[in-house]
Order: sequence, then structure tokens, then C-alpha cells
Amino acid sequence: MEQALQDILAHADACKGGIESRADLEKFKAEISGPKGSLTQAMKGMGKLPKEERPIIGKKINETKKALDAIFEKIDQFLEEKEIQDSLGEPIDPTLPSPDPEKGSLHPLTQVRRRMTDIFSKIGFTVAEEFEAETEWFCFDALNTPDDHPARDEQDTLFLSKGAIFKNVPKKENERYLLRTHTSTVQIRTMLKTKPPIRIIAPGRCFRRDTVDATHSANFHQFEGLYLDENVTLQDLKSVLDHLIKELFGNDVKTRLRPSFFPFTEPSYELDLNSPSLGKLSNQWIEVMGCGMVDPKVLESVEISSDKWNGFAFGVGIERIAMMLYGIDDIRHFYQNDLRFLKQFA
Amino acid sequence: MKVSLNWLKEYLDLSVSTEELSNTFPLLGLDVESIEYKGLKPLDNIVVGEIISQEKHPDADKLSVCQVQFSNDEPPAQIVCGAKNFVVGDRVPVALPGARLPGDFKIKKSKLRGVPSNGMMCSAKELGLSEENEGLLLLKDKPEIGTSINEVFTDTDTIYNLEITSNRGDCLSHIGIARELAAYYNLKVKTPELSVSTDQSNSATPERLLSNLEIQTTECPHYTAWSIKGVSVKESPDWLKKAIDSIGLRPINNIVDITNFVLMECGQPLHAFDAAKIEGQEIIVRNAIKGEKITTLDEKQRTLSPEMLVIADTKKALVIAGVMGSLDAEVTDKTTDILLESAWFKPGSIRATSRKLNLSTDSSYRFARDVDPKGVEWAAKRAIGLILELAGGEISGPEISIGDINTADANISISPAFIEKKLGFAVNETVIHEIFERLGFTVIQSSENWSVKVPSFRREVTRPIDLVEEFIRIYGTDKIPNKRVQNSAVDRNDDPIATFFSNTANYLIGQNFCECQNYTLRSKDETSQSIGEANESTLALSNPITSDQTHIRSSIIPGLLDNIKYNINNGNNVSRLFETGRIFRPSPDGIIESLAVGIVVLKNSLVKNWLERTDVDYYTVKNIISEVTDIANFNTQSLAFEKCTDKDLLWQSNQSAVAGELALKQIQINVGLLNLKTTKIWGIQSPVFAAELIFDANILRRKTKPLSFKAISHFPASNKDLAIVASKNESAEKVRKSVEKIAKKATGGNFQIEFTRIFDVYEGKGLADDEKSIALSISFRSHDRTLKEKEVNMAFDQIQRSIASDTNYKLRS
Repeated sequence: MEQALQDILAHADACKGGIESRADLEKFKAEISGPKGSLTQAMKGMGKLPKEERPIIGKKINETKKALDAIFEKIDQFLEEKEIQDSLGEPIDPTLPSPDPEKGSLHPLTQVRRRMTDIFSKIGFTVAEEFEAETEWFCFDALNTPDDHPARDEQDTLFLSKGAIFKNVPKKENERYLLRTHTSTVQIRTMLKTKPPIRIIAPGRCFRRDTVDATHSANFHQFEGLYLDENVTLQDLKSVLDHLIKELFGNDVKTRLRPSFFPFTEPSYELDLNSPSLGKLSNQWIEVMGCGMVDPKVLESVEISSDKWNGFAFGVGIERIAMMLYGIDDIRHFYQNDLRFLKQFA
Repeated sequence: MKVSLNWLKEYLDLSVSTEELSNTFPLLGLDVESIEYKGLKPLDNIVVGEIISQEKHPDADKLSVCQVQFSNDEPPAQIVCGAKNFVVGDRVPVALPGARLPGDFKIKKSKLRGVPSNGMMCSAKELGLSEENEGLLLLKDKPEIGTSINEVFTDTDTIYNLEITSNRGDCLSHIGIARELAAYYNLKVKTPELSVSTDQSNSATPERLLSNLEIQTTECPHYTAWSIKGVSVKESPDWLKKAIDSIGLRPINNIVDITNFVLMECGQPLHAFDAAKIEGQEIIVRNAIKGEKITTLDEKQRTLSPEMLVIADTKKALVIAGVMGSLDAEVTDKTTDILLESAWFKPGSIRATSRKLNLSTDSSYRFARDVDPKGVEWAAKRAIGLILELAGGEISGPEISIGDINTADANISISPAFIEKKLGFAVNETVIHEIFERLGFTVIQSSENWSVKVPSFRREVTRPIDLVEEFIRIYGTDKIPNKRVQNSAVDRNDDPIATFFSNTANYLIGQNFCECQNYTLRSKDETSQSIGEANESTLALSNPITSDQTHIRSSIIPGLLDNIKYNINNGNNVSRLFETGRIFRPSPDGIIESLAVGIVVLKNSLVKNWLERTDVDYYTVKNIISEVTDIANFNTQSLAFEKCTDKDLLWQSNQSAVAGELALKQIQINVGLLNLKTTKIWGIQSPVFAAELIFDANILRRKTKPLSFKAISHFPASNKDLAIVASKNESAEKVRKSVEKIAKKATGGNFQIEFTRIFDVYEGKGLADDEKSIALSISFRSHDRTLKEKEVNMAFDQIQRSIASDTNYKLRS
């Protein structure tokens, strides 16, 4: 009897390697523990054994069963692994590139705009947006730019046709529509809508009647700022713009406020910078932006008291900053959208 | 404005270096566009040396090895030289190591054919003094050894080309610039003494050259005419020729040169007439007659219009007033009698004339920027003094002067406290006072409010804030103390437009799109292709600059097609592009400026790949643009997508859809395949799927309901499927909606329909040709219990019955 059990176990162990499927396993199990299986047959001999041998043999049977279960379990595991492997197909080649679309990219002008916006949002400026199509009043009159000012000339400003009407761009009176030449229009619309204090930036698209070349573009982007409060001073203007320039170009850059003239600010300045690490533009004064204290006449035109409120404003070309930051030599790159250009900034 | 440093020094004891001046000008608001050196440039490390020996170079026939004494204290330098025109004992300019010659040529210690050479002996050409290369520049006067070469060649000048802002007409002259520097360096301007007095002009010969002067226009408030007889017109003396030549003017004759000189000295334009050529001895200042012709000194015939002023005699116009004279009254060698005009024209009139004729002259440029009205008489007398000195002749009778303008000084009331409040930092009152005085202003300090008198040459300074600007300009913006930014908190958010565009860009980049920026200005053809020929003119500019940029854009898509084409042509693997921005659409109530997001996706990849991916289709772009619409906080489910027809020009009918309408609903989506004819115009072979969301900014500013939590059911859902046969033309969404409506009704409100979802669409075998089958899954769920099989079945049966009885649909068995 004992021998029979040993034979069954030895047989099972010997055969287990040949089992390749669940069906084989079921058949194999039946051959051993099924109703006609070898173990079942062997166990039938139990009754014929002397009483005192039974516990010993019983123990042996249990051990055999356990050993067989272990064999079955192993086969089962083997089969499961085999099934998983069969379901997986060929192994990957980890070195092959993905055939999916290449990564997307943010346009460099958007990146620079965001960088500047972030710098200003940290010091409490929020973004304002207004129309690209504007009227003469918002673009010029309200900004203290008289009728015969050269900027208002048809040579410099793009006008819509005389009869053009806009459904959603409100006019002041019966003035003409045009494409805004600067984002300063946002100052006007904001001051008409909002009571001071006001602290806004306004990045946006502007238009000039320029022939396109390496440094001119019929449309370009400006980044406007306006800070209007009771005690805003020239010193505040300098500290905020120095902050911007240092954040953008590093701490080793020098700035200067060069007196200039704009109808909508008094005093007016060009902010120049001088940096030791700006490639070809290093170690020389470079004009960066126009700025100044809001002219009292501008405040009058939006019915804000210039006795109570003081402000500064500035406007800087986003293209210009991007060209300086990245050493881009031709403004047309921004509008050609060559992927070899765009992806450099991805 | 070109300014000669030598000329400036006539009015100013200026002892600053040219380099310092080039830094000072910008701080005064006079930006330096360029600097030009006449004669020898300032050069370092170039000194006078004496050649004390010369030997032949051992290895080169054409070279010699010289010992050159360049200092009394140091040993001579050995210099290898190729020139032949010298002998031992000659003195020459020696560039020592470290010197930089014009053209940025740097001198270093070197070896020439094995022989050390420690410097270079220079020719006139190498120093920038001559065009010809004639060997070494021999210094015949034998200047001291070691003298800087700049001390030898002192006939130099520095010409600053200054950019003068349009408000500073007073700086368009040498005296004007001298006044600025005087204020900055606290110097006195030495204005030339006038040698002609009014008395003199009255006493000499009583006969004037003019019998009548008449002003027939309001645009010329002040006109003076001076008569000088018996001049001899000839070449100007060297000093005068040199002065006007230095700032780029061509010497012509003494009379013309003098008027130009005085113009550049004080900023007042003058005009000298040959009195013999004034017909009828009359000068009339009048508006031009329509179509009147004049041949100006540049030998161009110009046709005038009535808003232009002319100076005329009884027969013809002689001068376009304030702009340019004509050949008819030109001063020539034969001229003996001169009528000198000094006048003041209104800036706007001259500006308009100059612009209309596209003719800007030194004269018109100044009149357009408001010359000092007090200068009219001074300039005339200054010029007459020079004429009498250089051309002889005599004043003939008193001048004729018509009109007058207010030349009184302006008074501005200002307090130092006001200045401090605008500046943000404290400044000593005496400093402010002093700076105003240096500017030529007069300060009367009777109370805490000062009275500041501003002279007539600074007529643009009228308000207290203008005085603040003047003060800080001279005080120096570089002296504004540094301060940390100390802003208070804000209670305002970014405009939702900015937030929307930013979030959209982030999402699309995550979907592998590359962002583009295209011009807003588009061509007429493109505009017609996108909104139709009937609407194109609405978006036209009235004064476009080029024929391909005549209209404002009506869609983002054409620009993106340009980008696809450009990138394909350049061999770039372009597949997904987007742009955000603003577009313009005509509507019955006027043009709508709309926000826009456009995307394009190439159907076929441009490059072969080792693993093929499934192509994109309508549903790819529909999903993306719906997500973008969601970023605008707008649910696309509230819009009905309908198939595009031929009237949606850019879009391929039946293969693309439109939802909403900009004019009526403030929002519109176009999505799907672009019209294949359109993409063919762009030369793009692959079909292009695209989508464009356009909407009024008001959509973003709508008030939205505050979010509040809704309880989630803890009980299982029960799903049932059914298939419906409908007409082929019926949209799937319409079928789904009617099933959902019926289903909601069928539950009687006892439990909820969680969703009705399409999971299969079938056409073909088993169905009629004009039919399709739509399979839907309906999900039932209750908030308070597990639904019983029975109640779900009852509801499902009711749904099927209602579909059969209440709709045109059939149930598919």
C-alpha cells in the first residue's frame, strides 16, 4: 500500500512536465484522484488493512494528497503564466520611438507674455482685455492725442471703411473705427468701467501701417500697464519697471529713464537697458519701452480727478522682449510659424 | 538734428569729453542716433615717435626693421615696417600695442617674418585722415616725441545726430541744444551780439524794395520783410562753409549759406528773395489756388491745393510758405538786391502742407514744431549782420512787419510739495529753484506757491506737471532713489478672456498641438473664400498698405492653412496646429469682434512610420473642440450640431458640422473636414480636419450658478439595451433625445434615467436602403433602493410601447 502511494506520487511528478493545457490538467487530475483514478483505487485498499496500520497509512495518504495538490498547484501556476504570456504577443523593442504625434508647443510670444504676466501678477497686477478694433476716441482723443498729431495720420494708422459699424464695440460719439495702434486703449476702457485704484496689465495685439521687414510688422503685440492710485509716484514707476527688467534679464542689468515724449504721459520716458550678457546687444543702451506718469488730460477725459489720483503707465513690445531674450534677429519668424522655429521654444 | 560740437562751443564754454556728452544727451531727452567724427577720431596709445634707425629685414626685401623712440623715458620700440617714404630722423604717428585704429583694428605685439614688431607706424589712411594710402604720415612740424596724436591733429569735430521728440521744437538749433547743455552743466549761453539795430535799419537808405506787403490768410500771424541793397553774391568764407558742411548741408553762396546758418543757429527759418524777381514789388501771403503750379528748388513741379500757403508776387507763387522756395525767385550770382523774409506760420498749416506734398525740409520741419515767436526779429537781424559783413550791401529802409503774436512768458503756479508728491522722494527746495533758473525760468517765491515764468522758446511748458518733468530732467532720472516694490493686495481677477486663452493653450498643447500666430490682416481673395464675395467688403480696410493685407480676418483657419503649407514646403512634419485670437464677422447689426480658437489636424501623416496609427476623423476634432468649449464654461450639449451645407464655404458639406450661430447665440462652432477645394487652393494634398470656436466675450462674463453638491446614489444601476430603426437622414442625437424623453416619462418619476447612450449605429443587410439602426443603452437607477427586476422591466416595456406609438421610429426585433 505504501509502495502504491509512493508510485502514484512518483508517477505524478514525472508526468507534470508534459501538461500544456487546462484540459491536460483536468485529465491528469482525473487519472489520479478521479473516481477511477489511481489514488482513489489505492485508497479503496484501506479497508483491507489491519486496524493498527490504518492510522499510519491514513497519514501517508494525507501526505500524498498534499504533495499531489502541490504538484497540481504548480502546474496551475505554470499554465496561468503560459496563458498570460500567450495573450501578450511579441515583446516590445524599448528603443523604438512612439509613432504618435510629437509634443505640442507654446508660441514664443505666448511664453514671453506669460512670463511677463507672471512677474506682474506677483506684485498685484491683473490682466485686462479689450477690443482690437477700436475707435479714434479711445485710441487717440481720450489719450490726449490731438487731431493733427502724426500718429493719427492715415499713413500710420489702419482705418476701417468710413461706414463700418461694429455690433459689440461701443463708440464714444460718431468717430471712425480703426485697428488699435497701442494697448493704451485698454487703459481708457478700464478707467471708464472701473473706479480707481486700478492696477492692470494688458497684453494684446496692435496694428501699425508699417511695411513688413526684419523689425516691423503690420501687427505686433504690446504689453500695457497702468497703476492708478492716490499716491503713485515717479519713484514707483521706476521701482516697478526695474523689477520687471531684473526679473526678465537678470540682476546685472542696468536701466535708465531717458526723457521722451508721449501725449498721454507727463513726464514721459523711454526705459533703456544695458546688460553685460545679451549677445550682440551686450554693453550698450537699448531702448525697451515707453512709460511715464499718466497725463492729467487723460484722467480728465475719463472723468477721474487728477487732483486725487496719480498713475503711471507703460507699454512694451512683446516681440521686442522676445527678440532680446532669445537673440531672434527677424520679427517675421514669429508669424511664419516654421516648426523648426516654434519647437526651439517647446 | 545734426549738431556740431565745434559750433556748439561758440555759445558754450564746454569742457566735457565727447564720450561724456554722448551719455548726457540721452539723459536730457536728446537721444543720440549716431556720432560722426570729422578729422582725427579720439585715439588712445597713438603717439608721436621718431625713427632713430632703419635696417633691412633679414628675410624680406620689402620690409625694414626700425627702432622708434616714442617716449623720453622708455627705450625705443622695434617696429617692422613696409613703407619706403621715410628717412631716419622723421617723426611719425606710432600706434603702440593696445591701440585701436579706426575700423577697430587692434595693435598687438607680433612677429613679421620672424622679427618681433612692437607697434605700427601709421599712414594718414590708417588714422582715418585720408582715403589715399601714401606711405607713412610724416609729421613735418616735428611735434614732441610722445605727444598724443590727438594733440597734433586738432582740427577735428564731432557731429551728434540727435533725435528730437516732437514737443521740443526749441532743440532744433545749436543755440537750443546749447541751452539744454547749459542747464545741465550749469553754464551760461553766449548768444551772438547783434550788429544791426532797429535804429540803423530805419536810418540808412529810406527806400524799401517792396511797395506792398499783404497777408490774406490767418495761418500766418506774423510776417516781416527786410530790404538789403547792393550785395555781392559769392562763395562763403571757409568758416561758414565748414560750419554748414559739418552738419550735412551743401554750401551754395554766401546769402543762402547765411540763411541756413542762422536757421541752424537759432531755429528760425528765413527766406532770401532776389528782389529783382518779385514782380510788381509786392509780396502777398495767401492760400494757393486750386491746381496752382510751382517748381520748387529741388526742380520738381508741384501742384498746390487751397489749404497750402504761398508767398506770391502779383503774378505767381514764389515760395511754398515755410516749406520751400521756387526757382523763380532764387538768389543767384547776379542778384544784387535781397528781400529777406522772417515769419511765423501756424505749425498745423505747415505740417499739413508738408505731409500732403510729401516734402519735409529743414524749414517746414521747424515751423511744424512751433518755432520761438520771439526769434523772428532776432534771426532777421542776425542774418542781416552777417550779410553786410560777408556780402556787403546796405539796409534799405525799415523792415515791413505785419501782425504780431503773443510772445509773453507764461506764468505757472507750483509748490515744491506738489513736485515731491509726484516724484515720491524729497528734494531740497533750493535745488528745485536753482534748476528752474538754470533752465531759463524765473522763479518768484512769494508764498509756498511759487510763480514760475517760462520764456517763449519753451511754449509747450504750461502746467505744473510740465515743470515737474523739467525739474527731474535736469536733476537727473539717475538720481531717483531705488525703492522696493511695495504694492497692496488686489481684489480683482484676470479678465476671463486671458484665463480662457491660457487654459485653452495648455489643453491643446497637451493634445500635441503647436501654437501659431498669424497676421490679422488678410487678402481679399482669402476673405471671399471664407465668408463669401457678398460679405467681403464689410471687413475691408480703408487704407491698406499692401494688396495681400487688405481685410481684417474673419477666421483663424486660413492662417493655419498657410502654416501647414509653409511647413510642408520646408519639409517639416506638421500635423496639429492651433491659434487663439480675435476674428471679425459681419452680421446684420454690424461687425462682431469675436474671440476665436482654431485647430487643424492633417488626416494623413506626412512621414512614414514603423507603426501605422488610425487616422483622425470628424469625431477626433469634435471631441477636442467640445473640450475647448467646455473651458469657456459652455456646454456643447446645449448646441445642436448640424451638417454643413455648401453655404459654409470653408467646410466640406456632409463631412463637417456647425453648431450655434455667432450673431444669434453669441457662439458658433464649425468642425469637421475642410472643403477639399479650399485645401487644394492652398496646395495641401492631405485632407485637413479642423474646428473653429468663435464667441462673444460676453459668454465668458455670464454669471454662473455657484456649484453645490448633489448626493450620489449608493444603489446599483440597471441597464437595458434597445435598437431603433429610423430614417437614414435622422440625426442620432435626435433619436437619442426622444428616447431619453420617453424613458424619463416611463419611470413616472419613481426612479431616474441616469443616461441614454448610443453604442451602435448600423446600416445595411436586414434594413431598407433609406434606414439605419441605432442601438442605445438606457441606465436606470434609484437614490433610495435597489431597483427590482419587475419595475425596471415595466418601465422598459412602456418605453418600447411609447416608441412604437408616439414616434416615427420602429423597434428593431
